[in-house]
Amino acid sequence: MIHVPAPDPFTVFGVAKSLDLDARALERRYLELSRECHPDLNRAANTADCVAVLQRSAEINDAWKVLRDPWQRAKALLEAKAPGVLDRNKKLDPMFLADALELAEEVAFARDDALAPLQSRLDQALEGDWQQLRADLDAGDLDAAARTLHASHYHRKALADLQAKS
Amino acid sequence: MTSPTPPPAAPRLVVGIDLGTTNSLVAVRAGKTPHVLRNQQGEALIPSVVCLHPDGRTIVGEAAKALRLQFPDRTIFSIKRLIGRSASEAAGDAAGLPYPVVAGERDLPRVRIDDRDYSPEAISAMVLGQVKAVAEQATGQLVHDAVVTVPAWFDDAQRQATKDAASLAGLSCLRILNEPTAAALAYGIDGSKDGTVLVYDLGGGTFDVSILRIEGGVFRVLATAGDTHLGGDDFDALLVQRILALLPRRAAAAAKEDPYVLQAVRGAAEGLKVRLSDAGSATLQLDLGDRGQVDLTVTRAEFEGAISPLVQRTLDCVQRVIKDAGLRVADIDDTVLVGGSTRVPMVRKRLAQLLGKEPRTDVDPDLAVALGAAVQADVLAGNDRSLLLLDVIPLSLGIETLGGAVQKLILRNSTIPTSVTEEFSTGVDEQTAVDLTIYQGERELAQDCRRLGHFKLRGIPPLPAGLPRIAVTFLVDADGVLRVTAREQRTGVEAGIQVVPSFGLTRDEVRRMMLDSIENAQSDYVAREQIDLRNKAEAMVRGTEKALAMSELPPDQTYAVQKALKALARLLAANADAAALKHGCDELTKVTATIADDVISSAVTKALREETTR
Repeated sequence: MIHVPAPDPFTVFGVAKSLDLDARALERRYLELSRECHPDLNRAANTADCVAVLQRSAEINDAWKVLRDPWQRAKALLEAKAPGVLDRNKKLDPMFLADALELAEEVAFARDDALAPLQSRLDQALEGDWQQLRADLDAGDLDAAARTLHASHYHRKALADLQAKS
Repeated sequence: MTSPTPPPAAPRLVVGIDLGTTNSLVAVRAGKTPHVLRNQQGEALIPSVVCLHPDGRTIVGEAAKALRLQFPDRTIFSIKRLIGRSASEAAGDAAGLPYPVVAGERDLPRVRIDDRDYSPEAISAMVLGQVKAVAEQATGQLVHDAVVTVPAWFDDAQRQATKDAASLAGLSCLRILNEPTAAALAYGIDGSKDGTVLVYDLGGGTFDVSILRIEGGVFRVLATAGDTHLGGDDFDALLVQRILALLPRRAAAAAKEDPYVLQAVRGAAEGLKVRLSDAGSATLQLDLGDRGQVDLTVTRAEFEGAISPLVQRTLDCVQRVIKDAGLRVADIDDTVLVGGSTRVPMVRKRLAQLLGKEPRTDVDPDLAVALGAAVQADVLAGNDRSLLLLDVIPLSLGIETLGGAVQKLILRNSTIPTSVTEEFSTGVDEQTAVDLTIYQGERELAQDCRRLGHFKLRGIPPLPAGLPRIAVTFLVDADGVLRVTAREQRTGVEAGIQVVPSFGLTRDEVRRMMLDSIENAQSDYVAREQIDLRNKAEAMVRGTEKALAMSELPPDQTYAVQKALKALARLLAANADAAALKHGCDELTKVTATIADDVISSAVTKALREETTR
């Protein structure tokens, strides 16, 4: 089973392929597109059109899901700019991976007082990842950006695990 | 040759139907405000009860409910608990029902009456038929199109089964709408409620909670959660246990065995629950003749102690849904209560404690769902383009992979419509078909999720293993129902998909049953209403006679009951009109209010007598 990527969400929304999109403007665009394309307000007479309306509406909902989350948006951005770039850069620095593993263990065993400091450490790490990602993109180094994105995944996973504990 | 001129387009009538576990309602929206439709007697609630009478008649609604005591084994209620499920899954629910439920073909539950088996869809269709008749009589128009509500927590199979029931009733179901979402529509329709609202819906049999953001006419569901098996019926069941525990041991045993007495105990429990909403304690008086009188008293504290774990389960759901929506408690601007069970003071109190604010009381918890369904019906009829509803899928959808794990394709709380495309290939040379099994649920292993159905991709060109590329698109439509399409990428050939649903009816069964129902359709609804009322009155006369024989009422009360009984019998004999019959039924109901208590009294007395004579 191979995942077939959905249409590029920036094109679906008709917005610039950029990391920095205004959250409020994006939400307004989503509601506007939904009004234009939702099957409830576009009841097609024949079945073929019905499926087309459904598909379009599904595309919009799915694109919104990606665009509103900054990390998913970054992933879609890289994939839209250079298809396959994420797959090509899956190999991460072994030193980084060792650190990530240690961090995951620390999260798994963290109790009470340790939780808050760990949370702020992870927040900082993610903030750092985001700055790095932006720098990579500004420098036009998409391979580096893809590696940064893969690395940030470990921090996001650790943060989610930590939040699940409280 | 000239083509006929099309008739001028009349405003399309689409009704909103709240198809409830206990009662159903129908509403329409004319202009801005929706309103519920009532039958000729002015009643809006249509009991979701069907009686298959020994004389061959099918009686639905209030008249059928009146027959519950007389024909406990052929009066069907709570069918919503069985719809879209397998017989094994529904076994727990079926065990508590006084009518026989058997496992039919493909382990589907069937209600068996006189050696004939009825699917839950067919029974629901009978209820919907009655709802349709009430709507047609009230509006004076034929009704073809409807929006039907279901608990948000209903899965794909339960939604599909509800759609099938509508088809069988001759209704085109334009939308399956989630009940809490419908309630939010009713709440926010006046346009002044922009913000974040939590809908807490505790009905007779199910619990749902949803969070919506309302903004400029767009109602967006952020997250939903619930429990398909938690509701006021469970509160009643706990009270039934309490009543039985307070009865002498032999009497309790005797009551448990007699469906007639057990039904009376259930009725008494429901009455106690309602009284406990207003009072600190409620008493069931049992008159045991020469053994004197026994008072069974249940205090509100006892009741609340018993239901507390159930209420806590709903609050856990509330906390989960807030988290799923990515919000904190403080972000909730308003709480809307739906469902009769939200009248229980403890439910309100605990919810207010959790959310730090009192729930709204300006939305009628009984009517909100039907009213909201009418609003959505109006939107789908094309009469209102200012409103838009964006709902979510309640449970994740996935397919089984090697080793019995489930790969999730569509995550719960995804806004619908939503779709995902995956590419599959073959494992063997010249293979022309691929099997896929679809599951719904949050667990990792297939065995812990609901198996929705089985899909076979056919017509794959015979090629070496791994070469065919079949793109399968899983699309969840606005009803929350899954549609699957497949295409072989190299040849562009549309692969045929054969769907074998794990639950509910196959497409062929639906088609056949629809043809049957069209043949049997009747159209004279006013006459039908008259007939229904006659049935109800006849049932009440017979039921009361039987209850009088079983109970030992004091003479003055017996006299009052007999007087009302005779009056109603005279009306029946004189072929009185609906209004007169309705009045006669009401009069009889007034004087028989305590008869259920008395039936229990008599059962207890009888059991005690038997004990002494042994």
